[in-house]
Amino acid sequence: MSLLEVKGINTFYGESQALWDVTFHVEKGTLVTLLGANGAGKTTTLKTICGLLKPESGEIIFSGEPIHTLPVHEIADRGITLIPEGRQLFPQMNVEENLLAGSYLKRAKKKRKENLERVYELFPVLKERRKQIAETLSGGEQQMLAIGRALMQDPQLIMFDEPSLGLAPILVQNVFSIIKDLHKRGATILLVEQNVNQAIKVADYCYVIENGRIVMEGTGAELEKDEKVREAYLGM
Amino acid sequence: MISLLPQALIDGILIGGIYITFAIGFSLAFGVMHIIDFAVGEWVMLGAFMGYYLNRWLGLDTVVFLPVVFVVFGFIGYILQPVIYKVLSGKRGNPHLMGLVFTFGLGLMFRGLGLTFFGFYSHSLKTFLSSGSFSLDLGSVFITIPTVRLAGLFYALIITFGLTYILKKTDFGIAARAVAQNRDAAGLMGVNIERISSFIYAIYVGISAMTGILIGSVFSINAQMGGKYTIMAFFVVVLAGMGYLAGVPWAAFLLGIVQAIFLIYFNPGWTLLAVFIILYVILLVSPKGLFGRGI
Ligand SMILES: Nc1ncnc2c1ncn2[C@@H]1O[C@H](COP(=O)(O)OP(=O)(O)OP(=O)(O)O)[C@@H](O)[C@H]1O
Ligand SMILES: [Mg+2]
Repeated sequence: MSLLEVKGINTFYGESQALWDVTFHVEKGTLVTLLGANGAGKTTTLKTICGLLKPESGEIIFSGEPIHTLPVHEIADRGITLIPEGRQLFPQMNVEENLLAGSYLKRAKKKRKENLERVYELFPVLKERRKQIAETLSGGEQQMLAIGRALMQDPQLIMFDEPSLGLAPILVQNVFSIIKDLHKRGATILLVEQNVNQAIKVADYCYVIENGRIVMEGTGAELEKDEKVREAYLGM
Repeated sequence: MISLLPQALIDGILIGGIYITFAIGFSLAFGVMHIIDFAVGEWVMLGAFMGYYLNRWLGLDTVVFLPVVFVVFGFIGYILQPVIYKVLSGKRGNPHLMGLVFTFGLGLMFRGLGLTFFGFYSHSLKTFLSSGSFSLDLGSVFITIPTVRLAGLFYALIITFGLTYILKKTDFGIAARAVAQNRDAAGLMGVNIERISSFIYAIYVGISAMTGILIGSVFSINAQMGGKYTIMAFFVVVLAGMGYLAGVPWAAFLLGIVQAIFLIYFNPGWTLLAVFIILYVILLVSPKGLFGRGI
């Protein structure tokens, strides 16, 4: 049984349909990536999974239970976290308060101390800047805080929405090595990236989305061989 | 004339202190629920009358009823919040405009009911604090501070520090600030936004009603008193910067002092006009309020 099963979801913004019959699944302990051009529907897919958007039809099954009818905060409680596009920190809170907000859920609160230590160990810079206001952090530091905040939730599925966006090349490497590291430690990850070269290297399995539809799937090696993918996404 | 200035400053601080209490709740409700509650003055009025009638029926000192009024109105706020939430999260029309119309209507309704049930006479609330006063004689300067006003300032400080503590140090407070700063992200952290909104609205309505008792013992109460407190709450919060809580006390003191100076030196009838002009000028210079931190 997959940890996450997305079955035929259709999501709308008002009248206009953004997702068409999107179906895919994520096995426990794997790193799956969802690739696609601007406006393909990647963010919409992630938002539908975490409950910020509701699908008009279709099902989302997590750990064997349907979650698509639950409100956002209950889906979070089931163990899904999203590191959103553009970080979405709490801008006027300091670093530590952002992390505390991450462990707001009762089940996460129980592990608050050990998770905080773990996050500070993973990102020593956050510990140094504990009292700094989030909006004054650099872009890279903000991304680390967004990841740290998500880890405070003690999630079973971590979804990243373009974590490398807007970062300098060296920081992009940094973010990818963090994702690889989390994966190695057993985390289940759904990664959305435009940095296709990098993404297919770290992924166990890939899906390609175009105009709101899943048009292709396969392992990184399989996609790399595909002519259309090479042309459209790898620039080869 | 200049010898009256210290008195004016102290009066202003004492008046401003009272404004803090309902303005801070008003600002909090705006930050968390995105609602401008034009019924704020009516909550003050209703709380004041509840204190007045409890005192008449039970004979106990009005101050004793502060916690009772807080609990009763907190409960009313708690059960009213889902209705406001429905209005604000509706898909049809312009939800924010409908929210404004809703609270404005609520205020009008409360005022109408107040006139029907409480009549249009003014009353004053009696407490053991009402009679005493302190005087300071510094030779050329003579200052009087009525005990009840001093008590009002203490009350304001307790509320301000209490709320600050809750917002900074408790998980509930962090959740409330999270909702105010980034609603979607707060939901992603597992915060139940509707529940937090209910508690915030309850706290705000409870505090505003409780403040009615203080206002009633310092000034007087009548069914139509709400309007001017709504205006004051609105002015204080706009001056502080919409949703910027830390600015509220300073803005409240400033407006209190302006008001006190007008009461002593000029025609008291001009007070609101003066306050309005000052607000207007400050907003021209700094559109996001005194500290440039509002929305
Ligand atoms: N709030 C919205 N209202 C209406 N349409 C929207 C909204 N958000 C996204 N869309 C539309 O839905 C489609 C999918 O958008 P989405 O944000 O999911 O794309 P994406 O794959 O995440 O793109 P990007 O790589 O640029 O982030 C686009 O056509 C977009 O214009
Ligand atoms: Mg996107």
